[in-house]
Amino acid sequence: MRTLLLKLEPIIWFMFGQGIMIGTMLMTGWILVIGILMPLGIVDPMNLNYVRAQELFTASVLGIPIAQLLLAALLVLPLWKGAHHVRSLLVDLGGGERDPLVGTVLYLIAIVGSVMGIGAVAGI
Amino acid sequence: MSTTEKTIVISRFDPDKDEAPYTQEYQVPCDPSWKVLDAVNFIKDELDATVSHRWSCRMAVCGSCGMMVNGEPKLTCKTALDEYGDRVEIEPLANFPVVRDLVVELDGFMHKFESVKPWIKRVKERAEDMENFNEKGTYSQSAEELGRFKQFSMCINCMLCYAACPVVANEPEFLGPAAIALGHRYNLDTRDEGTEERHEIFRGEGTVFSCSYANECSEVCPKGVDPAAAVNQAKFGAVIDWAKGLVLPRAPHAAD
Amino acid sequence: MAGPAHPEAMAPPKPGRTRTAPPQMPSTWWSSPRIRTYLLFDATGIIYFLVGFLAIKIVGQLGAGPIAWQAQMKALENPIYILFHVVALASVIFVAVRFFRLFPKAQPPAIGPAKPPPGPVIHAGLYVLWIGLTLVVSLALAGVIF
Repeated sequence: MRTLLLKLEPIIWFMFGQGIMIGTMLMTGWILVIGILMPLGIVDPMNLNYVRAQELFTASVLGIPIAQLLLAALLVLPLWKGAHHVRSLLVDLGGGERDPLVGTVLYLIAIVGSVMGIGAVAGI
Repeated sequence: MSTTEKTIVISRFDPDKDEAPYTQEYQVPCDPSWKVLDAVNFIKDELDATVSHRWSCRMAVCGSCGMMVNGEPKLTCKTALDEYGDRVEIEPLANFPVVRDLVVELDGFMHKFESVKPWIKRVKERAEDMENFNEKGTYSQSAEELGRFKQFSMCINCMLCYAACPVVANEPEFLGPAAIALGHRYNLDTRDEGTEERHEIFRGEGTVFSCSYANECSEVCPKGVDPAAAVNQAKFGAVIDWAKGLVLPRAPHAAD
Repeated sequence: MAGPAHPEAMAPPKPGRTRTAPPQMPSTWWSSPRIRTYLLFDATGIIYFLVGFLAIKIVGQLGAGPIAWQAQMKALENPIYILFHVVALASVIFVAVRFFRLFPKAQPPAIGPAKPPPGPVIHAGLYVLWIGLTLVVSLALAGVIF
């Protein structure tokens, strides 16, 4: 397990890097509007009613489903940042070495979440 | 100049006599111009000759006198005693096994250090490589090329970065800031052809990806080497090489 | 000392000739503000997990039809969700600020023939990109654009 994890570290770290960069940048607006401004009524939640949400999230430019790609990135990438940092936090707090089992479980959660995320976007 | 009396608390440990390290206090009349090292030397010279510690140049270039001063890794020859109050606690460098008193075991570091192959590696033997040398029989390197790695070559191997790094504390296999910075220094050196091989080492057991970018190493480095920059540049380089290795056949390794 | 480090931290490849005392963590480890900031930075990983899975659930409800979507948007008005999102917003801002400070120096000196722009330029550029993307995403979701 440890050798497998070591072999996959480069791609895991790359996904983590994208998660922290692109994930953070995309998530800020999402959290702000869908998580705070709309529930508080500061922005009219009817602006994202079913019809409009469908339209917005399936928008494409020149045949490329750009909205779905961005949405998929928004759903998938933060999970990889989460997995990597939770693993790091457990090492910092637990005072033990990076247990391959912990890493495997966390990255599996990220993989499952990624599949779920892509599935959710595809199912719009 | 008037002296102030300070209580210097030294961590003691004699492997032949003691179960575990314990602390011993000394009352030291400290001159205002003193560094922490001066106080420790005073203790050894005047108060207790059994205290063991490492030091050499007294001017922050040899890297010998690293110790924990009030919990922070410092070069004791460079740290003014005036910065501290009446009680100064001096312990051996964190994250290292302690040989005796303030002296730590360095072999672990030397092993990691050597494992990154910190020397100029060329693919061909020198005799077959002569077209790469100038008329004096040496490599040519411009000032700009030197500038790319010079910062990382300033490391004095004082190991304060190892004492500060949370991953070194928990991950015995991790290569650590200074070793990776040195490997990266050679990767950036235009005279060297061993980059791919070092990146493979960086992806091996000592994996650079263990680094969690706490940046503590760069915060404590007394020479401004910025090992955190080196480690994270190395991560990027190692990923690129890994990706290249997936699609392209691997070039022969530089001669050892 | 703040406590033991890993018993084999910085261990020599072969045991030395005398006993050694086990490695210790720095004694100010847990109380140092810099370390606490770093631990908080790692802890935001939990928030990212939660906010990510919540977002997946929200989008999943869109696929489940208009009634499910309406119910989901209503459910987000629960003060617990709003509070969570406020914490999440604080987390992403904290992560962004710290990451943008550390990212420029992790750039290699040259990528092939191209040299990356100087540190401060990258630093400022990241903020521009972040604010730009946030505006686009926010305005799009709020119905102002697209």
